[in-house]
Amino acid sequence: MRIVIAEDDPLLREGVALLLRAESLDVVATTGSPDAFLQAVDVHRPDVAIVDVRMPPTHTTEGIAAAVEARRRQPGLAVLVLSAYVEQAFATELLAAGTDRLGYLLKERVGRVGQFLDALHRVAAGGTAIDPEVVAQLLTRTRSDSGLERLTARERDVLALMAEGLGNAAISERLFVSEGAVHKHIRSIFAKLDLAPTDRADRRVTAVLRYLEETQRRG
Amino acid sequence: MEPPETREDARTDIRRAPAGNARRGLTAHARRLLDAVEHLVSGLATALLAFAGLLWLVLVALTCLIGVGLLLAPTVPRVVRSVAERERDRLSRWGPEIVRLGPAPDGVRAALADRAVRREVGWLLVHSTLGLFLSLSGLTMVANSVQDVTYPLWWRMLPPDDVTPGLVFWDVRAPGGVLAVALFGVGLAVCFLLLGPGMAWAQAWPGRRLLTPTADMDLSLRVAQLSATRAAALDAHAAELRRIERSLHDGAQNRLVAVTVLLGAAHRALAQNRPGAEEMLERAQETAEQALAELRTVVRSILPPVLSDRGLTDALSGLAANCAVPCRVDIDASGRCAVSIEATAYFVVAEALTNISRHSGARHATVTVRRAGGLLSLRVEDDGVGGADERHGSGLTGMRSRIEAHDGRLTLSSPPGGPTILDVELPCGL
Repeated sequence: MRIVIAEDDPLLREGVALLLRAESLDVVATTGSPDAFLQAVDVHRPDVAIVDVRMPPTHTTEGIAAAVEARRRQPGLAVLVLSAYVEQAFATELLAAGTDRLGYLLKERVGRVGQFLDALHRVAAGGTAIDPEVVAQLLTRTRSDSGLERLTARERDVLALMAEGLGNAAISERLFVSEGAVHKHIRSIFAKLDLAPTDRADRRVTAVLRYLEETQRRG
Repeated sequence: MEPPETREDARTDIRRAPAGNARRGLTAHARRLLDAVEHLVSGLATALLAFAGLLWLVLVALTCLIGVGLLLAPTVPRVVRSVAERERDRLSRWGPEIVRLGPAPDGVRAALADRAVRREVGWLLVHSTLGLFLSLSGLTMVANSVQDVTYPLWWRMLPPDDVTPGLVFWDVRAPGGVLAVALFGVGLAVCFLLLGPGMAWAQAWPGRRLLTPTADMDLSLRVAQLSATRAAALDAHAAELRRIERSLHDGAQNRLVAVTVLLGAAHRALAQNRPGAEEMLERAQETAEQALAELRTVVRSILPPVLSDRGLTDALSGLAANCAVPCRVDIDASGRCAVSIEATAYFVVAEALTNISRHSGARHATVTVRRAGGLLSLRVEDDGVGGADERHGSGLTGMRSRIEAHDGRLTLSSPPGGPTILDVELPCGL
């Protein structure tokens, strides 16, 4: 897997590169600005780009703009966006154009190397990785909605993990239940939220996020 | 801008002028004379504008009778206001300040209901007639006196059939005629010396009466001014919060993320028995220490602990002791000021000393602090290369906005070659 990193803090940039190289992943370029990042994408044609949201010159959302532009130049590029804060507006902006090959994680998740690598591989393989914090925020904001209130606590856990982009097997592992039980929960969730059942991970995330966005707008 | 004392002088001069005062000496007379000329010239400019405004007012009023003027009517208050604002600026230059009122109310009805606009129209009538007359007659006196006094020097060069200067009714070719012209010129000059300042004062008087805000407007203007300074203060506050957020994010927060990344990597290396874990732990520790150092810097920049514990004197002495350039501190300010004022004073000195050690090449610096009459005055001097410019480098700009948020003043003198002197005044209560 060929990786390009865009992160303006040199220490952090080299830290992430060090970690990925130690896991025998191929970090082909590390860059500190949107321009250098786009150039590196053009030159190296990587499989995955890891991009910080805040980058020079204004240190606001340059990273998101750069990620969108990189995907325009190289369709099919997997992008994992790292952010110091959970900003729901970033998430929705990023996910608006589709959730395939896209991840949005808090920076400190990189330290949980196992889960971070999972997310990286999932995104590279065409899936989605959404930070639990983002999902939690979305769920909190929509708690008053009747559809979500009908969910049991366990179903909520499953929904949150689904929204992170995990598949049935991964969910059953995290919750220490059988895959069959997970399957049952998901069917129940879809029924309670009036969504057509499907097993493909990204479509499930889309469905969940769309549903959450809609309830927000109504609320 | 002139210092206030000079302005006060100018005003009393004009009031006393008709009585004259021999003891004041020649220079005082000359200055009074020049002031009067200057005021009558600038008064002529606004009087001509007022006259044009009056013509427009009459024209619109007449065309209103046939309907067309109704379309033009809304322009009248705006024209009157813009002329009045020029007169306000003019009068503010040599007397007590008359605050500008800003744009006139929209619409004729609102303008008619506005007392300020009605008073301005009254002023316009007086200034465009009497004011114009005063300027023209005063300046005619000046021009003719200059012409007549010098007349003996150049009258022979004039064509023989047209030698009589203006205002002169006798035949200059008669014996003594030319001398009489010169004496007449002197007479005119004396007249102007006696009357001129009074004329300038009389010309300004309607403006000073009618263009100043009335008591109720005065309050609303002060509210507007206070709102503006309050907004500026809040802006400065928001900018400060942004600065703190930025330094936390770029510093400590990123360092801590790097620590988790390094710890995660070390964890994996240990779990899988790979080499390099020790080096990663070493780096994680270093990074955590950096994060702590950066947190300390940020905390100190929010409010230096020494400032709240020991006061401004000790805090500034500490700054000077840490300065790379030898720095002498001379503080004579007993008692405590408001925390925000002390903090501002501290940061101004800190920023100034940083600039000195970075850019000035100075060998000595001096910090002087005085407190008197409700003002905390700071002066930071150095013997460096000078040439400090507010437009280059945001440090000075930040300093200025911080000071102005407290209604203070900053003056910087830094000619190329030095020395650089930074003067700051902060109101700190009595």
